[in-house]
Amino acid sequence: MPILTHLEAIRQGIGEEMERDSSVFLLGEDIGVYGGAFKVTEGMLEKFGAERVIDTPISESAIVGAAVGAALVGMRPVVEMQFMDFIACAFDQIVNMAAKIHYRWGAKVPMVIRGPSGAGVHGGPYHSQSNEMWFVHTPGLKVVVPSTAYDAKGLIKAAIRDDNPVIFYEHKYLYRRVKDEVPLEDYVVPIGQAILRREGTDIAVITYGAMVWTALEAAAQLEKEGISLEVLDLRSLLPYDEEAILASVRKCSKVILLHEDTRIGGMAGELAAVIAEKAFDDLDGPIVRVTAPDTPVPFSPPLEDHFLPNARKLAEAARKLASY
Amino acid sequence: MAAKVIMPQMGESVAEGTIVRWIKKVGERVERDEPLLEISTDKVDAEIPSPAGGTLSRILVKENETVEVNTVLAEIDGEAPDEGAGASVAGPAQPVVSKPAVPEAPPTAEAARRIRSSPLVRRLAKEHQIDLTRVQGTGEAGRISKNDIEAYLASAKAERPAPEGTAPSLPVPPSSAGAPAAFTGPTQRVPMTPMRRQIAERMVTSKRISAHVSTFFEVEMTRVAETLVQAGAEFERRNGIKLTYTPFFVRAAVQALKQFPIVNSSLDGENIIYKRDINIGVAVALETGLIVPVIKRADEKNFLGIARALRDLADRARSKRLSVDDVQEGTFTITNPGIFGSLLGTPIIHQPQVAIMGVGAVEKRPVVRNDAIAIRPMVYLSLSFDHRVLDGALADQFMAHIKVALENWDESVL
Amino acid sequence: MGVKHKTIRPARTSRHDRSGGGEGSRSGAPLARSHDVSRARPLPAADTLLRMLYLLKLTREVEVRIERVLYRQGKIVGGVYVGRGQEAIGVASAIQLVEGDFVLPSHRDLSAYLARGIPLERVLLNWMGRADAPSRGRDNTLHFGDLNKGIIPIVSPLGDTCPVACGLALQFKLRGKRNVALVYFGEGATSRGDVHEAMNFAAVMKLPVIFICNNNGYAYSTPVQKQYAVKDLWRRGPAYGMPGESVDGNDVYAVYSAHQRAIERARKGEGPSFVECKTFRMTGHSAHDAAEYVPAALFKEWEDKDPITRLQSDLLQRRLMTPEALATLHESVRKEVDEAVARAEARPLPDGESANEGVYCGPDCWWGQTRSQAFDV
Repeated sequence: MPILTHLEAIRQGIGEEMERDSSVFLLGEDIGVYGGAFKVTEGMLEKFGAERVIDTPISESAIVGAAVGAALVGMRPVVEMQFMDFIACAFDQIVNMAAKIHYRWGAKVPMVIRGPSGAGVHGGPYHSQSNEMWFVHTPGLKVVVPSTAYDAKGLIKAAIRDDNPVIFYEHKYLYRRVKDEVPLEDYVVPIGQAILRREGTDIAVITYGAMVWTALEAAAQLEKEGISLEVLDLRSLLPYDEEAILASVRKCSKVILLHEDTRIGGMAGELAAVIAEKAFDDLDGPIVRVTAPDTPVPFSPPLEDHFLPNARKLAEAARKLASY
Repeated sequence: MAAKVIMPQMGESVAEGTIVRWIKKVGERVERDEPLLEISTDKVDAEIPSPAGGTLSRILVKENETVEVNTVLAEIDGEAPDEGAGASVAGPAQPVVSKPAVPEAPPTAEAARRIRSSPLVRRLAKEHQIDLTRVQGTGEAGRISKNDIEAYLASAKAERPAPEGTAPSLPVPPSSAGAPAAFTGPTQRVPMTPMRRQIAERMVTSKRISAHVSTFFEVEMTRVAETLVQAGAEFERRNGIKLTYTPFFVRAAVQALKQFPIVNSSLDGENIIYKRDINIGVAVALETGLIVPVIKRADEKNFLGIARALRDLADRARSKRLSVDDVQEGTFTITNPGIFGSLLGTPIIHQPQVAIMGVGAVEKRPVVRNDAIAIRPMVYLSLSFDHRVLDGALADQFMAHIKVALENWDESVL
Repeated sequence: MGVKHKTIRPARTSRHDRSGGGEGSRSGAPLARSHDVSRARPLPAADTLLRMLYLLKLTREVEVRIERVLYRQGKIVGGVYVGRGQEAIGVASAIQLVEGDFVLPSHRDLSAYLARGIPLERVLLNWMGRADAPSRGRDNTLHFGDLNKGIIPIVSPLGDTCPVACGLALQFKLRGKRNVALVYFGEGATSRGDVHEAMNFAAVMKLPVIFICNNNGYAYSTPVQKQYAVKDLWRRGPAYGMPGESVDGNDVYAVYSAHQRAIERARKGEGPSFVECKTFRMTGHSAHDAAEYVPAALFKEWEDKDPITRLQSDLLQRRLMTPEALATLHESVRKEVDEAVARAEARPLPDGESANEGVYCGPDCWWGQTRSQAFDV
C-alpha cells in the first residue's frame, strides 16, 4: 500500500472524486496555477483544466455563495479557504445560506469547504485558529477533522459525496508530518464515526485532529508509568459518535477531553455534558478538559507553547486523574 | 405568645398530611400534649397533641384539607410558658436518638457524605450492597476509587459467601400482591402507593447502608407451648387478650438485649450509639403494606405489659390509628414471617437499628432427643445483623441467649 | 496618461518616461486618472524630500535585513511579508499627515509606520516576538498599532480595516476635527466585500477617508487579470461617488501629489478619495514563496523603476544632495538598523504564562501605554 502524507492523501481523495464524478469542481484562491498556499491542489489544474480548478479573486463570501449556487443546480463544489481563519469572511454565506437551505425549503447543498487550521507553526492569531466550533454550533452543517492520512482521504471522499455542506478541517501541522498507508482502491470513512486509536483501561482520552497524535505520544509515555490511556479519535465533530464516546467512558470510568481549540464553548464542553447526562454513574473521577486557554493564538514561540496543549500537559493531567 | 401547630412529618418520606378532625374548637382551652387534632397521611392516621398549653386562637387549615408537612395548622395563645414550652413551636416529629452512651458524633448522613467516592463507586456500592465506610480508599485524600471497590468486592467474595442471595422475607400480606382488576394488555402499569414507595425506598436504603449478615437458630418451643396451654385461657380471661407466641419472643429478646447492649445500638459515622431504652418494633402486616409500631421501653414492662402493648399497637395499626410516636424510636425489631407458614427468613434491618429478628412458623418437627427421634414444637429464628457493628460470634451469643430463655421458659405469664 | 507629472516634476528617470508605466502588465499599464481633481501643485520642500529618502532607505534596509538575514537565521519565525519596491506609497502619503491623523497600513506598509514615527526597534521587537514588543509577542510582523502615533494595524483577512477607517473618520467629522484616515490595501483586497461596503459608506457620509490601493500586480499568486475586470482601479472611485486617481506608485512625487490633493479634499469636508498606486511586489508573497509564477521579465522591468533609485537620482541631479551626503546617509541607515537589531535581539522572549493576560481590557490594562492623548481615548 502506498505511503502518503496527510496532504497527499487529501489531494488524492479529491482527485479520485473528480475523476469519478464530473460534477465535482474546485474553487478557491491561488489553487490553480499555484496549487494552493499549501499545495494541496498542486497538479489539479493541469489534470482537470481551468473549468474545474478555478482561481478566484480574494472574495471568500462570493466563493462560498457561488458554491452554494452551483450545488443547488447539481454540482459538487469543493471550496478551499487559504486558511480556515479566513472562513470568517464567508461566515454569513455558510451559516445563513448554505446551512439552512435544506431545512427551509428542502433543496440539497452538496458542497465541501476545506482548508488548513490549527497552530504550532508560529502563524500568529490569524493563521493558527481552530475555529471548528463556530460551525459545530450550526445545525445543517457537518464538521469533519481527520487525523491520519487514511482518514483524510476517506473523509474528504465521504464529504464530497455527502449531500450536505461539510466543513472539512485540515490541520496544517499534520500536512507533511503525518504519513500512513493509504489504499489505492476506492473507500470512504463514514462521517459521524469515531475510531479507537489505542485501547486502554484507565483513562479515555477523547480528542480529534492533531491532538490525536499528542494523545498517543502521552499514552506511550504513561504506559511506562503503569497508566493505561485509551485514545478515541472523534474524526467527526458534527455529528459526533456518541456511542463510541460513552463506550470508552464506561470502559475506563475516567475521561480526559483534549483539544487544541480554546476552552469555553469548545467541543470538550459539549462532550462533558453528554457524558454527565448519559454516563454519570460510570464516572470514577471528574471529567477533565485539556485545552488551549481562552486567548487568541499568540505568535511568539514561548507564548504559543504555553497556549498549545501537548503530551506533557496531557500526561500531567492524566497522572493527576489516575491518582484521583 | 402564640405557639404554632404544624403538620408533622410522619416519617422521612412523607410530604403531606390531611386534617381529619379538629378535636378542639377555636377559643377552647387546651393543655400541653392534649390531643388537638387528627390527621391522616399515607402512612398513618394520627392524633396530634398540642405543642403548648393555652387557648386555641386560630385554626388555619380546615378539616379535609391536605397540606405539606411543616405547614402551620393552628395557633395556641399561651399563658405564661411553662417549663420546656419556651420552645413552643412543635417541630416536625423527628426520630430522636436516645441519649448516647458515648460522646456525641456527627449524624450518619453527614458521615456518609464525607466519604469521598465517585458516581461509579456509589453505583457499584449500591449494586453490591456495600457499605462504603468499610472500603479503604486509596485515591486522592482517601477517596474510594473504582479500583478500591473492585478490590473490596474481590476480597469479600473470597471471605464469605454473600448472604444476599436469599430473597427478602419481610411479610407482605397476600392482598397487596394482587394483580390489577382488569388487564387491557399483556402488562398493566400501576403506580406504587406512597406507602409501597416508602417501603421500597427504605428497604433498598437499608441494604445499601448496612452490611447484612444472617444467622439461624432452631429453638424448641415445648416449654412455651406448655405455658400457652396451661395459662392461655386464664390469661385471656383476666386481661382480655388472647395469649400468643409473640410476647414470648419479645420478652426473650428484651432479656437478651439487656445482656448484649450493643445489639440495641445504632451506628453514627465512626461511633456506636448505645440506647438506654429498649424499644422493640414489631412488624405488622396490613392490607396496604407493612408497618412497624414500637413497644416503648419494653425493658420496663413485664410480660403482661408487653402483651398489652402488642395488642394495642396491632389493633391501632390495623385501624390506621397509630400516632407518629408509635412508629418511631425503635431500637430492635422483630418480624414474624411464620404467621403465613414461612420456616425462616432473612429480614432487612430497620434503619438505623443494627439487627432484626425473624420468627418462623412454630410447628411440630421430629428432633433427636437422647438419641431417639422425638416430636417437638420447633421454630427457626433468624437474625439479620449489621456486620459493621456486630460480629458473628456476638450475634450468635445473643441468639443463643434467646434460645435458652425460650427453651427454659420459667416466667409466669399471669 | 502621465502627462501631469512632466509639468510638476523637473527630473525623472528617462526609462520611466519611455515606458510610461510599462507595457505587458496590467499593473504597469499607462496611468490614467479621473478628471475631477486639481492638478497644479508645488513640489515638496527639500527637507521633506530628504526626509522621505531617509525613510525609504530605512524601510528598505530593515526589510532586507528581516527577509534575508534574520528570517534565515531563525531569529524571526512565521510568515515574512515585506514591501520591497513599494516603499514610496507609504512614505509619500503618510509623511503629509499631522497629529490626530490615522493610517491603517497593510502588511507591506512598514514605510507608513516609519513615516508616522514608530521607532525601528519597536518594529523589530514585534517581528521577533519579544516580551516588550508592542504586541507583547501575541502577534507578529506589522500586526501592531499605536493610538498615539495614529496607527491601526491590519488583520490577516485583508481589507477588513476599510470599514474601520470609516469609523475613525466618522468620529473626526462628528467632533469637528479636520483629521483624515488613510487606509491602505492591495488590489487583492479590493475583491473583498468589506472594501466595497466601506467605500460606499464613506462616500454616502462624505467621510475624510483616503482609500489607497497598493496595486503591486499579484495577490499571492493571483495576477491582476484574475483579480478584477476593470481597466484601472481608479474607476472604483467614481463608481461609488468619490474621485478616483491612478498614479505611479514608484514615483515619490506622483504619490505625494495625489495624496496631497486627496487629503486636502478630505480636510475641507469634501469626502473620501480613491488612489490607486501602481507598483510591483519585488518579492514572493512571503519569504518562503519563490514567486515562480511571476515572469522574470517583470521583475527586471520593475527593478529599473525602483522608487529609491529614482528619488536619489533626482535629488543628486537637482543638487539637493551630494553623492557624499548620500553615502553618509546610506551608512547611517545601515548603522541605525544594525543597532536596532542588536537592541531588539537582546530583549527577552515573553514568559509563556503571560499568554493568558490581556484578553480583556480592565482597570490594570497594560495596553494603556498606547492610548491616544490626541483623542482622549
